[in-house]
Amino acid sequence: MSQPVSPIREPLITGHKTYHDITEDLVSPTEKTTVSWALATMAAALMLGYGVFCLIWTFWVGIGSWNVNRTIGWGYDITNFVWWIGIGHAGTLISAILLLFRQKWRTGVNRAAEAMTIFAVMCAGLFPATHTGRPWFDFFMFPYPNTRGPLWVNFNSPLLWDLFAISTYFTVSLLFWYTGLVPDLATVRDRAKGLRRKIYAFFAMGWTGSAKHWQRFESLSLILAGLATPLVLSVHTIVSYDFATSVLPGWHTTIFPPYFVAGAIFSGFAMVQTLMTITRKLLKLEDYITIAHIESMNKVILLTGWIVGTAYLTELFIAWYSGYIYEMFAFYNRVFGPYYWAYIGMMGCNVLSPNIFWVKKFRRNVTITFFMSIFVNIGMWFERFVIIVTTLARDYLPSSWSYYWPSWVEIGIYLGTFGLFFTLYLIFVKVAPVVAVAEVKAILKTAGDQYVGVEAAKKAEATAH
Amino acid sequence: MENKTKKNHTWIGVDQLNKGAEFQEAVEREFQDVPLADNVEKLATNRRDFLKYLGFSLGAATVAASCDIPVKRAIPYVVKPDEIVPGVATYYASSFVNGGDYCAVLVKTREGRPIKIEGNSLSSVTGGGTSARAQAVVLSLYDTNRFPGPGKMENGRFTQTSWAEVDKAVKGSLSANSRVAILTSTVLSPTAKKVLEEFKAAYPDTKVVTYDPVSASALLQANEECFGQRVVPNYRFDRADVIVSFAADFLGTWISPVEYARQYAANRKIEDVHKAKMSRHYQVEAAMTLTGSNADHRVLVKPSEQGAAIAALYNEIARKAGKPTVSAPRVNDKAAALLKQAAEDLWANRGKSLVVCGTNNKGEQVLVNAINDMLGNYGQTISFANPSLQRQGNDPDVQQLIKDMNSGSVDAVFVWGANPAYELPNAEAFAEAFKKVKLKVSFSGMPNETTALCDYVAPTHHLLESWGDAEPKRGMYSLIQPTIAPLFDTRQAEETLLRWAESPNLNIEAEQPYYEYLKAAWERDMFPRQTKYATFQNFWDMSLHDGVFELEEQEPSVAFAGDVQAAAAKITKPANSELEIQFVETVHIGNGQYTDNPWLMEMPDPINRCVWDNYLMVPVVFDGHRHFDCDGPFAGFNQEEFYGYADQAEIEIAGRKAVVPVVRQFGQMRGTVGLALGYGRTVAGKAGVNVGVNANPWLTIDADGNTQYFNTDVKVLGKAGKYEMASVQYHHTMGVTGKLEGSDEVINVDEQAVTTIKEGYQGALVDRTIIRRANLPELDKFVEELKEERREAEHLNQQTLYPYEEYKEKYYSQGHHWGMHIDLNACIGCGACEVACMAENNVPVVGKYEVFRHHEMTWLRIDRYFYGDYENPNVVYQPMMCQHCDNAPCENVCPVSATNHSSEGLNQMAYNRCIGTRYCANNCPYKVRRFNWLDYTTADLFPINENEVNGEAIYADNLVRMVLNPDVTVRERGVMEKCSFCVQRIQEGKLTAKREGRKLEDHDVKTACQTACPTGAITFGDTNNEKSAVRKQYESELNYIVLEEIGVRPSVQYKARVTNKVEELG
Repeated sequence: MSQPVSPIREPLITGHKTYHDITEDLVSPTEKTTVSWALATMAAALMLGYGVFCLIWTFWVGIGSWNVNRTIGWGYDITNFVWWIGIGHAGTLISAILLLFRQKWRTGVNRAAEAMTIFAVMCAGLFPATHTGRPWFDFFMFPYPNTRGPLWVNFNSPLLWDLFAISTYFTVSLLFWYTGLVPDLATVRDRAKGLRRKIYAFFAMGWTGSAKHWQRFESLSLILAGLATPLVLSVHTIVSYDFATSVLPGWHTTIFPPYFVAGAIFSGFAMVQTLMTITRKLLKLEDYITIAHIESMNKVILLTGWIVGTAYLTELFIAWYSGYIYEMFAFYNRVFGPYYWAYIGMMGCNVLSPNIFWVKKFRRNVTITFFMSIFVNIGMWFERFVIIVTTLARDYLPSSWSYYWPSWVEIGIYLGTFGLFFTLYLIFVKVAPVVAVAEVKAILKTAGDQYVGVEAAKKAEATAH
Repeated sequence: MENKTKKNHTWIGVDQLNKGAEFQEAVEREFQDVPLADNVEKLATNRRDFLKYLGFSLGAATVAASCDIPVKRAIPYVVKPDEIVPGVATYYASSFVNGGDYCAVLVKTREGRPIKIEGNSLSSVTGGGTSARAQAVVLSLYDTNRFPGPGKMENGRFTQTSWAEVDKAVKGSLSANSRVAILTSTVLSPTAKKVLEEFKAAYPDTKVVTYDPVSASALLQANEECFGQRVVPNYRFDRADVIVSFAADFLGTWISPVEYARQYAANRKIEDVHKAKMSRHYQVEAAMTLTGSNADHRVLVKPSEQGAAIAALYNEIARKAGKPTVSAPRVNDKAAALLKQAAEDLWANRGKSLVVCGTNNKGEQVLVNAINDMLGNYGQTISFANPSLQRQGNDPDVQQLIKDMNSGSVDAVFVWGANPAYELPNAEAFAEAFKKVKLKVSFSGMPNETTALCDYVAPTHHLLESWGDAEPKRGMYSLIQPTIAPLFDTRQAEETLLRWAESPNLNIEAEQPYYEYLKAAWERDMFPRQTKYATFQNFWDMSLHDGVFELEEQEPSVAFAGDVQAAAAKITKPANSELEIQFVETVHIGNGQYTDNPWLMEMPDPINRCVWDNYLMVPVVFDGHRHFDCDGPFAGFNQEEFYGYADQAEIEIAGRKAVVPVVRQFGQMRGTVGLALGYGRTVAGKAGVNVGVNANPWLTIDADGNTQYFNTDVKVLGKAGKYEMASVQYHHTMGVTGKLEGSDEVINVDEQAVTTIKEGYQGALVDRTIIRRANLPELDKFVEELKEERREAEHLNQQTLYPYEEYKEKYYSQGHHWGMHIDLNACIGCGACEVACMAENNVPVVGKYEVFRHHEMTWLRIDRYFYGDYENPNVVYQPMMCQHCDNAPCENVCPVSATNHSSEGLNQMAYNRCIGTRYCANNCPYKVRRFNWLDYTTADLFPINENEVNGEAIYADNLVRMVLNPDVTVRERGVMEKCSFCVQRIQEGKLTAKREGRKLEDHDVKTACQTACPTGAITFGDTNNEKSAVRKQYESELNYIVLEEIGVRPSVQYKARVTNKVEELG
């Protein structure tokens, strides 16, 4: 050990891994099929199937099979859309912004987070596409040259901005994810035989690991990170415009963009936590996704939770301060109205519960982290529900006030998106290393426990003596 | 140069290099036109290609042909009738008559199909107004449940036969001395009365028994006693400055509501704020009626207390007039105080006041006549010139008939325009007695409870297929003419009777025998009574063209000759029971005469805003803090109303149990409940069967034989489960007030309760800029405040990035700019406009379950808000439709520009472009956009997903589809729709003006709601035209814009609601 060893810096890879160990540990799950994996995939596919059935039902019968009504035109559909989009924020944030900030701990979780992003965006995209009354005419949303005048789309509409924002985000995230996968796919290829080898060879795009490849890989990663960083902020900003540009009290607020972005990161990190705590356990990746990783993410959750909480309180204050009766009533209604339970759920899960992470012990506790991550996502779901449904339920004219509760079809479609998400995620863990092999190897010498941390320091000392 | 060019010369081919003459020529010509034919040989298809193309086209054709596209044939006329021009509507003057319900109308037909009812402004009775019932009549024409022809009934089952067979059977069982009873509801037709006379001549032992589904029998009896005339006098609400109504719902259902509403509104509209004058209206009632909701003061009395209330008023007036008082039971103190004030007002306005009474108690009616007499109202606000004939029924007669049938002294009963087996209070007794009659025939065109008991059905034409006349008021005649050939094998009841009577006056060889008969009758009876036209043909043509023929009568002198003391002895005595029930006739479905009509079933009740059901209206009580509950035995009911659920109550009335859903009703007197008549039909068209509860068996009959519309023996047995409440508006108010518990402080309950989780009354903050209202004495102050507020709103609206003024100057002030004005003081909430809008714009009916889910499609709704004392609030109605905002929030959020703004200020919908994101509906502050949630109109791709309405996919039938307005697109599932300001009418008006080479004027364009309104509350027109009526209306200082401060720039202005309350009375 010639280099100096920091006793303070916590190792990000434990278990005295060698490069070969890392390859073995991370690639082997793609090479064997376990019963639990098969069962989980089947369950997920079943849920997906039910969702597909509910969608077909919707197409056949009409949006009337949902319980949205003349007052509350959006219910589960857009709530779930915004929720999934929010979840889809963590991946790119981890990959892009943390890459730019040179945060090494990202390497343990970025692959899974990026995959999660892509699948979450797919789940999210499903809702705007299918919530329309005539989904077979969704292509009207695209500004394609046509013989109707030509008739263009309405560039004033936030829904159109959404379409562009989300499709851009999806494309860039996909590219980023795939770029990162290439060296690992090559690793898998090198270990594989027969047809499997051919398939991986195709997707590895002839990666040989030459210095030139690595150089290009690094530059591309940086470029994509640069591209993706503003997207992280823009996507949810634009989603928030769906509400912020309207005239409804409770929607029409300038606070929405930062509030939505913070909320998205909040929920995205929570979802990463949920997935990672399960994945590391099932795939025995505790050495790569360490308590240090979990703690870092919990810190982000604590921070964004506070941002979101501040936003909630600011909203209440501004409503009172405005002196405008409709604005005031909108917030009275949120807190005390018929959907008071959603508000309590939102406040409880998003503002109160993350405070548990002030305590280091809890931050580093996997069980608590797991339950907290679920709480946060429930809270964030409530937040979207509160913003969308509660606001619509009671707006300007009391004559039109109404109440909304989802129908079995809406619940089914929501379950279906979980099915889609987990099906894709499970396929993903089966076909690609769930932790970025190459990137973990890259930090082994600077973050492996034989090189950094208390133990390594002791060892280094001992050797020096 | 040459050299240089040469040096750098590049060449494409040898030709260019050589620069031959041919090449030079080619370069010069640039565009070569080589004849394609020269190359044909090269392009010629070879055998293989030919076979390929053949194979492909064969395959493609096979695939295409296998898609079965149904053939729809359009068969042109061989000889086109002159009056039918495809695409151009033809209007026929006619009359809407159903029993005593009357309205002079114009029937709009397109390509020979009646599709819309308009008011006939030439009628001095209805003055161009209509009612919801009249508007809906076109749909009942295309009812698939109508009898297809004459038939024999066996155990309630219909078997179609021929007319010859029915005629033979009926005539076979009749002989000259047969004892025949013809049971009718009010017959307005003078010619039909002659037909009955002729029938009587042929069968001398014939009795005509008349009753009304909702009776005014006592009123007629009282007028006969007091003035010797068995008529409803000619009331003049427009001349009355003080109106006291004892349970007479004269704006909604009583006698002639369209006529009365017009008169009433005439004296309620405020033209000049500074010289404002309007009538003061007291309504004495228990259940809130449409009329009561419009009153300045409601005096709450129990149904059994009405007599005492009338006597109390009588005594007050008698004291002032120096006449003897009558002894009567005391009315409750609150009511007594209000009645004292009413008496003051009445006395101060002698000769300019009016007291009307809707109870069916002869004694009470005599007392009311006496009050009017003491006030000197006869000859002023009440007249016997042109009295109304719209109620002619006599309840004791029908009771006598039941006795006669039981005793076997009736051989045959013909039921015409009535449904006694449902409508009568003792319908079961009627049915029993009816069975004993040998020959029972109904002329009903629709199956009902009575036809089920008959031996034969001889269905009459629908009104729109009939010839006829009507005399709604004496001397005021109007004609009914057919607007379509009979759709089924029906025959007009008059003709049937004449045939059975073998009348010599009926020419059965004629193409339209009854038409000839009617014409002859008019030539004989009407023609001589006028001098304007020299020949009968002229007179007939003009009468038919105008639809009305009116003869003004001289004011007769009448003297009151009623026995007041005897009358006072007859009045209803207050009951001691804890709970009383009032049975009310609804504006839309009467006593079941209209339950077959889906438009009317889906029209929300103006007061409780429920559809497709009768709900038990239960009073609310306030706990003095923040909680409302139902009164007394209903405590704890309907706590989840705003979640869309009502509780059902099991009630027992006079020993008969039923389960009814409950609705909390502001303004319902404590200790009373209300229930609508007309529901719970067991045999009817599909729309009406088994909807709600039949209240008729609970009606009672008083000593005079008159039907009483209340019951004092009511028990509540308890809750009986939840009910999906099909209500379009819950009880959110505009600020009801109540006394704070333990103090005398009056608090605004809405504001008090707004911070209460779950348990609180779910009210609104009340300073909403939606409804503006004032009381007459403080009108000037109100106007100043309104001006200030509007200035403030405009100031806010100016703070924008977008140069609205510039747009206005550049676009909106050019050409037409359509706008609407609605006078909330003239709007009585009757709902005629709602049904008219459905008819005009092909708005689908969605049914009870869909309304429960808030999927109703009405483009125009009438919002109802309560304000004032929670126990006895005032009501304001607000017709709400698309406001056609110039800065429309819906337009900029549509991703595909399916909704956009026209250069004439219209907010348009391009249905074909709409993909249904519903963003526009969310962003509409007025929530007027309607989405086609399901396949309501059978207009989408999938064949078996239609929405069913009471078990019937109504629009799936081609007969029903004939009612659709061909000028308005039928919307597919998944698209958004909303009020278009009747753009099809605007377009038609513009074309008319253009064709006639003139500027467009007001009369060219009138929206459907505007023409339907009986009170003229709605004005529509071009706001850029300085001479337009709407422009004139826009000048009123009482005008405001709903939610003006949010800057959406609507094109609809409302005129504030003004009441004329005595302030001390609160």
